[in-house]
Amino acid sequence: MKEVYSTGEAAKICRVSQQTIIRCFDSGKLEGFYVPGSRFRRIPRESLVKFMKENSIPLTNLDSSKKKVLVVDDEAEIVDLLVDVLERDGRFEVKTATCGYDAGLLTQQFHPDVIVLDYMLPDINANVVCKTIRGNPALEDTRIIIISAHIEDEVSAKLYELGANAFLHKPFQIDALVGKIAELLKL
Amino acid sequence: MAASGLQRRRIELLLDKVDRLPTLPGVGLHLLGQVMADRPGRRAVQMAVEVDASLAARVLKLAIDLGTPAETLTSIDAVFDAIPLEVLVADLLSVETVEPDVVHEVHLVRLWRHLLAAGMAAQVIATRLGTVRPETALLAGILHDIGQIALPILMPKAYAQVLQRVEAGGGDLIQAEREILGVDHAVLGRRLAQQWGFAQSLQNVIWLHHQAQVPAADVPGAGPLTQVVRLADLLVCQEGFTYHPSEQPREGAAEVAERLGFSGAHAEQIGRQVVAAFQQNVGPAGIDALPSADELRRALAAANVRLGSLYRHEYARFHASTHEARRSELLIRLNAQLAKCHTAREVLETVATTAVQALGLRFAIPYLRASDGAYVEGIRCTAEAGIEEQFLYDIASDTALEPPPADDAAPFGEPGPPVRAERVEGWLLERQGTRLGRGPFYTIAMSVEDTNVGGMLFAFADPDHERTTHESGELVALASLAGIALKRAQAEADLGTLSEELAESNRDLQAAHQRELQQRSAASLGEMAAGAAHEINNPLAIISGRAQQLAGDEKDPARRDILTTIVDQASRISDIITELRLFARPQPPDLQPVDPVALAGQVAEEFQPLAARSGVHVCTESPAIAPAIHVDPKQVAAAIGAVVRNGIEACAPAGAGTVSVSVQVLAARGSVRFVIADDGPGMDPKVRARVFDPFYSGSQAGRRRGLGLPKAYRAVLANGGQMALESAPGLGTTVRITFEAAAPAPAPAGEQAQG
Repeated sequence: MKEVYSTGEAAKICRVSQQTIIRCFDSGKLEGFYVPGSRFRRIPRESLVKFMKENSIPLTNLDSSKKKVLVVDDEAEIVDLLVDVLERDGRFEVKTATCGYDAGLLTQQFHPDVIVLDYMLPDINANVVCKTIRGNPALEDTRIIIISAHIEDEVSAKLYELGANAFLHKPFQIDALVGKIAELLKL
Repeated sequence: MAASGLQRRRIELLLDKVDRLPTLPGVGLHLLGQVMADRPGRRAVQMAVEVDASLAARVLKLAIDLGTPAETLTSIDAVFDAIPLEVLVADLLSVETVEPDVVHEVHLVRLWRHLLAAGMAAQVIATRLGTVRPETALLAGILHDIGQIALPILMPKAYAQVLQRVEAGGGDLIQAEREILGVDHAVLGRRLAQQWGFAQSLQNVIWLHHQAQVPAADVPGAGPLTQVVRLADLLVCQEGFTYHPSEQPREGAAEVAERLGFSGAHAEQIGRQVVAAFQQNVGPAGIDALPSADELRRALAAANVRLGSLYRHEYARFHASTHEARRSELLIRLNAQLAKCHTAREVLETVATTAVQALGLRFAIPYLRASDGAYVEGIRCTAEAGIEEQFLYDIASDTALEPPPADDAAPFGEPGPPVRAERVEGWLLERQGTRLGRGPFYTIAMSVEDTNVGGMLFAFADPDHERTTHESGELVALASLAGIALKRAQAEADLGTLSEELAESNRDLQAAHQRELQQRSAASLGEMAAGAAHEINNPLAIISGRAQQLAGDEKDPARRDILTTIVDQASRISDIITELRLFARPQPPDLQPVDPVALAGQVAEEFQPLAARSGVHVCTESPAIAPAIHVDPKQVAAAIGAVVRNGIEACAPAGAGTVSVSVQVLAARGSVRFVIADDGPGMDPKVRARVFDPFYSGSQAGRRRGLGLPKAYRAVLANGGQMALESAPGLGTTVRITFEAAAPAPAPAGEQAQG
């Protein structure tokens, strides 16, 4: 969890302009400090929270600093497992889908940082989902991890070609999965 | 009486050469008139014959000579029945007649009259008597003085003396014969009858008809024939039918008649009866007739001409039928022998032997052309040594099979007619020629329905022999039979080959079917594994994931171990499914040249640790150098490894044993073989049979997944090799994995220079 914010980040979180934040910082309404030897302003998390509460700004945007993960699997138990694992970690905001269609919709709305995608879905397969996401420039940074009960090496090679970033076999090591997500997001 | 003894012996020797007697000229002329008729009638001929002792004796002898038992020939009827009319006619055409001078000199007409009268009287007596057949009595009566016909005819001068003695002395004829000739006509007649094979009863009549005492029934079944004839003889003499006018009628007729059961008066009555009937017979028979010499000569000349033409005709028929019979006999015999032949070789042997033995050949070389024309199979059979050689000539590429140009036919003498062998069988003569001696050689083709199946090369025993039409016919017949038999043998052999091929393709088909089944079952196994992967790996992921979570939270190490075990086992299940999938759909091999010796060493090395733990010794035994093989090294190493592992595990329970991994170079077959042998307990046949079936494990249930050997087997096949497993309880297990040696790759020039 982030402890110190720039004025730009604070503006984004509070949904005000950066100038407003700078004015409040300079007037002392928003407490903070300069980066030593420079003019860059920095606002600690506690003072940002205090500022937002005093000015009745919702705190929701502050939490969205967690990385967004979309879990897609038609097996409810798998979804539950993954949600459980990822939320316990604390660094992730998790949403779920159980078919390719929902996955598409949620991707548009939720702009996940990582999609954990089961290869074999009831409606469409992961390769189609992969292709769709990579066809959208706005989702360029979205990382895709495929997990599959299948074992064919040529299939995984194909998925890498379509833009998948990682491939895991079921059953998988949960540490390996979390590690892979963190690695992809450079956490 | 030395002189008469000598005379007797002379007569006997003279008689021994006599096989027929001439007849009176008048009788001969009459007879020729009958037999020269366009269609001679039996009855007319018989009537001409049965009044004449000479002719009757002649036909009786002919019947006996033709093989009829003499004892059945008791009448002229029986004699005529026994001889085909045309044979009889041909024989009678050569009738001989007595010179007219002789006829007069020795009073032959009187003699003939006496014989005919006696025959008739005997017939009448027999008819009255009932115990002797009249026709038998007639024949016996006519023939009774056969000796007396022979004597005057054969030696008229000497017999004239006899007759003079009778005339001068008024004496007994028999007595005179004995004095002048040293022997009487009865004894000589019997000798003649014996010589000609007459029945015993007739012999007795001829011998004994002058004896006062004769047996009542001298021959069983013949009745008192001799007495009947004796009575007839006496009766007709009483009536004046004596041979010589001055011959005294002998006494005793009444006595003989009484012995037969007649009264003297009765007998005389019979005599008179015969005299009355006599003229009716003697006229037509020509006994009294005295034809002129010209008349007689003309008749005999005509008969001679007829006889000649008859002879020519019969000879031609005989000649043709002899050859026909010879050919038929040959063919029947050959056919019977060929029927027993099943192979071409047997046919060739039979044909060759028959040809040499039956056709008088010096040698015969029958041969058979293979139906595809690839080779010729034949045998050489010679008159001296029989079958000498069996040969098989490869002629597929032989241009010499083409008939050589006529000018080139020289090596074996001048060019001959078409059947001469030099022109058409040069190829065979070239191969066999040196052993065949001098020509000329002949050849005859064996064909069936215009298809040439072979031929026969041969030479006659006599090199100068000119073939006759008949011999050619026999050779052609032999060749055609041989051709058929060869064709049949060929067909039989083809049938055998066909059924072998059928059986082989059936085996192939079965093997292919087996492979197809295996592949199909592997394919469905693969599909099942793919489905199972999805269905099983998902729950495994959940089990494993949750267990991992719990393990992460768990502070108690014991419980954490348990949870870790759950995770491990889940991953093991997943591994099994992966392996199964790979077994069903193996990776295509990445073929490259591999040094088998290095590969074997590498595998053995790899398994040393496992072997050491089990107390098993793993050794290698390979030549220093072996040709490279073209395989996927990983897959083949894994396959060999699976076999080695199997061997180690088989030995492990005993805690001792040896697994050897060796390389053999099979130079002759151009292949390299890995032999992996263990001295473990071996497998029983049931396990052995299923050792390449997936999941069938000879080890204890659950210990192994049972995919090792099946996977190895599939991998070896996929790499173009073969894998065979040999095992029996107590004998260990030996696995042979064989690959074709790769053709030695030509080394780049530089490397070669470096050596």
